Amino acid sequence: MTELRGSASEPCRVLVLDDEPLILLDLEFAVEDAGCTPLTALDLVEALAIVQNNAISAAILDVSLGRGQTCEQVARTLAAMGVPYVLHTGDLDRMDEAVRNLGGTLVPKPTPAAVVVARALEPLAIRHV
Amino acid sequence: MKRNIPSDNPSSGPVDQAHTVFDASAAQFMAQHGEDTFTGASGVLFEQAMAQTRMAICLCDPNLEDMPIVFANRAFRHLTGYDEQEIVGRNCRFLQGPKTDQTVLKRIRTALANEDVLVVELLNYRKDGEPFWNALHLGPIYNAEGKLIYFLGSQWDVSDVRAARADERHARELARELSHRMKNMFAVIGGIVNFTGRVRGIEAEAREINDRIQALGRAYETTLDDSHRGTVEVGQAIRAVLAPYDPDGTRIRFEGNGLRSDFASVSVLGLSLHELAVNAIKHGALGTDSGSVTIAWKRNGSTASPAIRIDWIEHGVGPQANAKQLVSNDGIVDRMLDMARGGIVREWHSDGLRAKLNIPLREHAE
Repeated sequence: MTELRGSASEPCRVLVLDDEPLILLDLEFAVEDAGCTPLTALDLVEALAIVQNNAISAAILDVSLGRGQTCEQVARTLAAMGVPYVLHTGDLDRMDEAVRNLGGTLVPKPTPAAVVVARALEPLAIRHV
Repeated sequence: MKRNIPSDNPSSGPVDQAHTVFDASAAQFMAQHGEDTFTGASGVLFEQAMAQTRMAICLCDPNLEDMPIVFANRAFRHLTGYDEQEIVGRNCRFLQGPKTDQTVLKRIRTALANEDVLVVELLNYRKDGEPFWNALHLGPIYNAEGKLIYFLGSQWDVSDVRAARADERHARELARELSHRMKNMFAVIGGIVNFTGRVRGIEAEAREINDRIQALGRAYETTLDDSHRGTVEVGQAIRAVLAPYDPDGTRIRFEGNGLRSDFASVSVLGLSLHELAVNAIKHGALGTDSGSVTIAWKRNGSTASPAIRIDWIEHGVGPQANAKQLVSNDGIVDRMLDMARGGIVREWHSDGLRAKLNIPLREHAE
């Protein structure tokens, strides 16, 4: 598998946000398989901390984080920084209008983790062509 | 023609008041308002129609102080529980109560001011205080000179309709929540299979298992929308199962109707088509640049033992690929279909595989 890197020396870091640990584990492996460094977050607070303290190349965001929370705030932050992300969700219809309007790539659940990661890394590959 | 029948006298008429021909209040109204309003035969028609209709109707006079009701038919009295003398002379607002929506009332006032036609649903109250949902239609009535003489209000109790609508909405929300949870559950199962395969060093096997589970999940998903029916639309399930193998929607053609079957048959069909698609990607039409697949489904077999027949037709594949496809077939499709008391017949044509799948159709869930 070709390795994607943020730059010649920097590893490509991918933020993975999901409130379900088992899905997070699967995505973490898939990000590693793609030659990137996964940074995992189970909730908004963790995700925002990761975004602030690391140079992120791409992100996979679960839309609905339980207890009425959505990934909107993280998505906004990433969008402002120009970091591409995919919205990984089990319910595209119910998705918050606000989240939908953010314009991230939608990947419906369930999609194989390798495919989710590939979709998340697509913008980077294009950038490096 | 005028009839001076004294006001409502229940003992004088048949028991089924809704179908008595004459409504005394209509006659009385006409007597007071004269032939210039309801001329000739139309007057008789008015009386009879007002008496017979089960639609509650009232007329209000906008040229009198506070726009009082000047006429209300029997159905109106029946609906609201008030007697005629309690209705005529009063403004319609006596039907309102504590939970009547003020914004709707505002729309009514605006419509009256603009002489508009308006249809709204609002909560009204009967004489005994019981609330009911009233589908109110109101509109202006003009005389021959174009002068506004009445507002017509027709009322219909839609409480049952609204309750049914609420039930339906609730069922839809529940189905949606279930669907959401099920997708999540399939995603979690997929995660478990994947990382188990990874830590065991059997990623390829895990992927194969997971792909089958996910295909099953997609086939199942379609059942949730109309779970109450207990059957699945075959075409919907087929499309859902095969969607990931044709992301642009240009490689797979679907030909079929709204045939339904129980889920047990559809799960086997879904998994079989998944296997055929995986093979077609590896060795067949979906692995070439220009290849395509046509899938047709229809009802087959006798009336006593109906079946679902599916034709899987690949186009644009060379003969070499066919040989490989033959070799790669591990027999799982045949075994699944056999177990479901169906079967598969494969033929290799010059431009690719043609498979005929057959499975008993069970239209009614047990």
